[in-house]
Amino acid sequence: MPVFKFAVDVQYRSNVRDPRGETIERVLREEKNLPVTKLRLGKSIHLEVEAETREEAREVVRRACEELLVNPVVEEYEVREL
Amino acid sequence: MKPRACVIVYPGSNCDRDVYYALEKTGFDVRYVGLEDSVNGYDLVVLPGGFSYGDYLRPGAVAARERVSFEVAKVAEKGKLILGICNGFQILIEMGLLEGALLQNSSGKFICKWVDLIVEDVDNPFTNAFRKGEKIRIPIAHGFGRYVKVSDVRVVLRYVDDVNGSDERIAGIVNEGKNIFGLMPHPERAVEDLLGGSDGLKFFESILRYLKG
Repeated sequence: MPVFKFAVDVQYRSNVRDPRGETIERVLREEKNLPVTKLRLGKSIHLEVEAETREEAREVVRRACEELLVNPVVEEYEVREL
Repeated sequence: MKPRACVIVYPGSNCDRDVYYALEKTGFDVRYVGLEDSVNGYDLVVLPGGFSYGDYLRPGAVAARERVSFEVAKVAEKGKLILGICNGFQILIEMGLLEGALLQNSSGKFICKWVDLIVEDVDNPFTNAFRKGEKIRIPIAHGFGRYVKVSDVRVVLRYVDDVNGSDERIAGIVNEGKNIFGLMPHPERAVEDLLGGSDGLKFFESILRYLKG
């Protein structure tokens, strides 16, 4: 069966504070003097899925996101095929 | 007969023994249950603090998908009492049994200290031994305790000071049916004056009093 590779990019929703991102942003700006005005730290989750078709594989990834990988209360996600 | 309580031991739980001690001291018949055990037949199910599954992905996320957690949801639906402390609260949120989210403290730091709290609600099985508005002191120990409110919730405990950036300084909530209580502070670590204080005992006494009717 074919194997499809995906990346799931997870980010906090824009209205949710991200203390880790804020700290990294501050260091880049204040310690490294780089003109960084916003930084959000998310996760990138890479998966390999066995399926007959690309559509089936995408459906598996969607279920993985909704059933565990993403907390829709505070996070949003995008799926990329690798 | 003593009311029966069980404490779920997830891989990575580390406050299971403390809460066992507190429950036994209060007068419960206590058992530990593991991932493959049943939670049927108990008056109270406790999800203890710790770092279940190392907080991988999100605190409580993996434990919330364990079979034993689905069993908890089933007995909760029947009205049994469920208590989630710290990581246990995070698990209940991840299960969807309590609303909102628990995210990283606004300071970005793990905070371990005694804090002052106000008991806002005493009309529930978990805090009926307190006076409404009573100020108490028990410890917190968490990195992800910033409560994010996404709906109207019944607030039971509020921090006196803004310790972690929680919306409305919320430290503990109960569900609409008042049988599921989650809190970030650790009442089980405040049951002996010798170890700093005993304000935590009243939570367990409240539950006992409720169960004995």
